[in-house]
Amino acid sequence: MAGNSSSTGPSNDEAGARGDSSLPPVGKDEPAPAPPPPSVWASLTSFRGTTGRKTDIYVGIAGFAVLLALWSLATYFEWVQVNYLVSFKVVVVRLYGMFVGENVDHSFIEDIAISLYRVAAAFLLSAIMAIPLGILMSSYRIVNGLSEPIIDFIRYLPVPALVPLTVVWLGIGETSKIALLWIGTFFQLVLLVADDARRVPREYIEIGMTVGAKPRSVLRHIILPAMLPNMVDNLRITLGWCWTYLIVAEIVAARSGIGYVIMSSRRYGKVDTILAGVLVIGIIGLATDQAIRWAHRRYFAYLR
Amino acid sequence: MPLQPFIVIDRVSKSFQPDPRVAPISVIDDISIAIDKGELIVFLGPSGCGKTTLMRIVGGLETATAGRVLIGGKPVTGPDRQKGMVFQSYSSFPWLNVIDNIRFGLKFRNDLDAAEKERRARHYLELVGLRGFESYYVNRISGGMRQRLAIARTLAAGPDVLLMDEPFGALDAQNRDFLQAQLDVIQRSEQKTIVFVTHDVEEAVFLADRIFIFSARPARILEEVRVCDILPAERTLEHKESEVFFKLRNRILGVTRAQALRTEQIMMGASPIQ
Repeated sequence: MAGNSSSTGPSNDEAGARGDSSLPPVGKDEPAPAPPPPSVWASLTSFRGTTGRKTDIYVGIAGFAVLLALWSLATYFEWVQVNYLVSFKVVVVRLYGMFVGENVDHSFIEDIAISLYRVAAAFLLSAIMAIPLGILMSSYRIVNGLSEPIIDFIRYLPVPALVPLTVVWLGIGETSKIALLWIGTFFQLVLLVADDARRVPREYIEIGMTVGAKPRSVLRHIILPAMLPNMVDNLRITLGWCWTYLIVAEIVAARSGIGYVIMSSRRYGKVDTILAGVLVIGIIGLATDQAIRWAHRRYFAYLR
Repeated sequence: MPLQPFIVIDRVSKSFQPDPRVAPISVIDDISIAIDKGELIVFLGPSGCGKTTLMRIVGGLETATAGRVLIGGKPVTGPDRQKGMVFQSYSSFPWLNVIDNIRFGLKFRNDLDAAEKERRARHYLELVGLRGFESYYVNRISGGMRQRLAIARTLAAGPDVLLMDEPFGALDAQNRDFLQAQLDVIQRSEQKTIVFVTHDVEEAVFLADRIFIFSARPARILEEVRVCDILPAERTLEHKESEVFFKLRNRILGVTRAQALRTEQIMMGASPIQ
């Protein structure tokens, strides 16, 4: 474009003028050798350096490898008593045993499935309710004025403190567990969504109003797409919180779920089972987080 | 020419009261301006003087504390398609590509059929020289191209008035020159009434039919400069080199420098020199 050509123009002229002067023509025919690209190590350790995606993945794997090595060293040299920390190998063997249903009436896969169901149901319910309410809170003072104090009040209540109430009101079935997870995420998420909507640049909204869009169209065609990338990030973060409340929910008269397995193993000091359960939650968390990040990069590529 | 001017800014004042315990701050003090159809009017003044606020009142994006604005004889009550805006930043939507951004200007025109909308979108794409960049996202094009895109989208909506809030303020000098010249061409082909806000004196002299020089806050009109009586209507970048241009620019600079200094003092909390 014209902008580019005009900005490179003057610098070429300068180079020509320099060549005519008495200064020796430095690198006129052969281009100056480009400085060698910084080594991967240098780019990783320099202040605010940048690396490629592949390097990031390898470094992430290396981090896990270091953790695993420390764990193995600690168990191999028995730095920690075996009834506190069992070896990684024992945990993996135990996990296999749990999957095939050793010593228990059902496979651990069923526990994973029911926990996934609880988290998914509660999280979807939270998102479906929080997204419209959050957007309305940012759009209309009346909605914000009525709901924000209530949300702030509930938001500061510790979720475990509400366990007795949910049991009394909703019993010990799935409903009370999903309700607990919902309480833990909805009230946080709604404020985050409202904030995302408020942060949409005023200019975008005014562009809409000056091309003839009514408030409904501004919400749908401007506010929603403008806030979407940040909102997906916030959904990803609140999904993580949902998993932390899962354990709280599954202590309560549950007979299934990863949290139940972990809590019941504690009673018998089965460290291998506890660690197996923790490992599975971590892996599920890492996998969903990475999946959402991937989707973010894929669908919001226009931001880069 | 019609008997009544196209835009009438009639004794407009504006004050803010950010804190009920302190007296309201007067931003605009009793300004009246009449603008004819097809004119390019520049509001020139230091940053923070209230010129943008006055333009936003004309656009219906803010309300005046006193006075009124008429466009085509009707009072301005709020923003609509009649008054198009071009902002300095966030001027186009990053989640849409170039052609979809222009189409957005036509999205709410229920009076046009799909084929006509498409024809117009293409027309404005070419008018601002973005042909070939249809599928580019906003973050992938240069700052100058983004501003041309914003102009195309705004024109596509078919406004009667174009309100431009320092649209070239964030561009480098070469790009700014180029866009000023292009705006001059667009103005002549589209015959729009334009209100252009800037603090750049050279830009003001190059573009304007008439310049209104704003005082430091609260804004009053210090002087109206009828550039159209001094420079030809059709201007190229060569005019910026001419003696007439130079003299006019320097004279206006003398006026605005004093105001910029006063604004600075007001901002610093010193008592303004009256």
